Amino acid sequence: MADETRTTAPDGPREGRSRRLISRARFLGLVVGGVAVGALSMRVFGLVDGWRENTVESSRPVFDPESYRLTVDGMVERPLTVGYDALRGLPAVRQVSDFHCVEGWKVPDARWDGVRFQTLADLVGPLPEAKFVTFHSLGGVYRDALTLDQALLPDVLIAYDLDGAPLSQVRGAPARLVMPRMFGYKGPKWLTRIEFRDGRDVGYWERRGWRVDAWIRSSS
Amino acid sequence: MDSQQQLAAEPPSDLEGGALSEFLDRFAPPSRQLHWLVAIPVLLLFITGLTNFWPEAKALHLGGARLFAWLHVLLGFAFAGALVLALLTVMPRRSARRDARELLTVRLADYLWLQHQALRAAGQRSVGPRVGKFNAGQKLNAVLTTAATLALTGTGLMLGVNYWRKDVFDVDFVAGLFRWHTVLSVLLLPLVLGHIYMATLNPGTRESLRGIVLGRVRRAWAERHHPAWAERALSEQTASRRERDERDERDERDA
Repeated sequence: MADETRTTAPDGPREGRSRRLISRARFLGLVVGGVAVGALSMRVFGLVDGWRENTVESSRPVFDPESYRLTVDGMVERPLTVGYDALRGLPAVRQVSDFHCVEGWKVPDARWDGVRFQTLADLVGPLPEAKFVTFHSLGGVYRDALTLDQALLPDVLIAYDLDGAPLSQVRGAPARLVMPRMFGYKGPKWLTRIEFRDGRDVGYWERRGWRVDAWIRSSS
Repeated sequence: MDSQQQLAAEPPSDLEGGALSEFLDRFAPPSRQLHWLVAIPVLLLFITGLTNFWPEAKALHLGGARLFAWLHVLLGFAFAGALVLALLTVMPRRSARRDARELLTVRLADYLWLQHQALRAAGQRSVGPRVGKFNAGQKLNAVLTTAATLALTGTGLMLGVNYWRKDVFDVDFVAGLFRWHTVLSVLLLPLVLGHIYMATLNPGTRESLRGIVLGRVRRAWAERHHPAWAERALSEQTASRRERDERDERDERDA
């Protein structure tokens, strides 16, 4: 370490500087190690993991269990309107799936309780010309659409519970669409209407240039 | 030169109208430029990045571009580019290398300084060591801040690519990057806030702000907080000014 003797020796005795304790490499190692330990402990505490909120509604839609209705209509044989209790009374499934936001974060193993879209589709009976489904939010601003084939995938849910508790207002009470194979913006929160259509409806972000089919490509 | 001036141990007061004895040169331009080139973008990156925890601000968008996310990514790329250019132009400079080297050097005085601070915090009387250009707190802050900034830049660049091109990285890899980027920024924030507090508000330390803005600090402050460095800086400053004066004199004679 010729460099070190060169840099410290001329100054050292002249200014009475104190001697060096450990090598710079070890000092750097200690610091980096300290940061890693700190970061890992924060990870354990879950300070930075979990859900983040995204909404474009002017205010978060308020859900009233008495007056809430979920309408399933459009190109169907038997349009359906159900209240909150009736929705919870439909045949339900529990599903554990990762939630991926387009921003980059994910929530691993989110535990959803709700009704399969397939179940709802069987109840209303889509007409042959129904090719697309639009999902409307209570606030009236946000909506998004899937093709009927995408919506009929077995892991597409109308979910009302998350991790064993009813959805909070922030997470989309009373119900939201869960489409685990696409980014979260394809799953509207505060769901109030499911509309079967023959033509594609363009969702809030897709009108602004985002991808219509937000498939997640993952190795796992 | 008369004999009176030659005998004086202190620098002659006629040089630069006495300014020599009041101020000491602390940071040469390269170190100052590097500091502000990092400090200003990092502040802007914090402001735009922290909107992640503020849904109302995060919702602002122009067309499909979410305002703060878009600004953050753009700023991040600009910052990374500027950082590379700055390191290439600044680090070959002797003054900047000397500052960097001193920040990375652990001395006995650093251990004693930390012990001194701990004893004082515990309410005991203690005499601190003769601190050089940087005390142990400044060194730790510099190294931690640099490490966090570099790691944030690395993870941020990949997240920035992912912002436009979702097919480059695997989503789980991106989720890992996102988590580390957040953890590091949350760790860095208190360091930066503490740094700003000490440079602007804390009465005992805010004189140092003059050093990183104008390059010089009051000698009285330096002798109190960085006595070993003050002594060295004064002798270097005196020597270089004497050299310059002698050169000027020579030039005048030759002319």
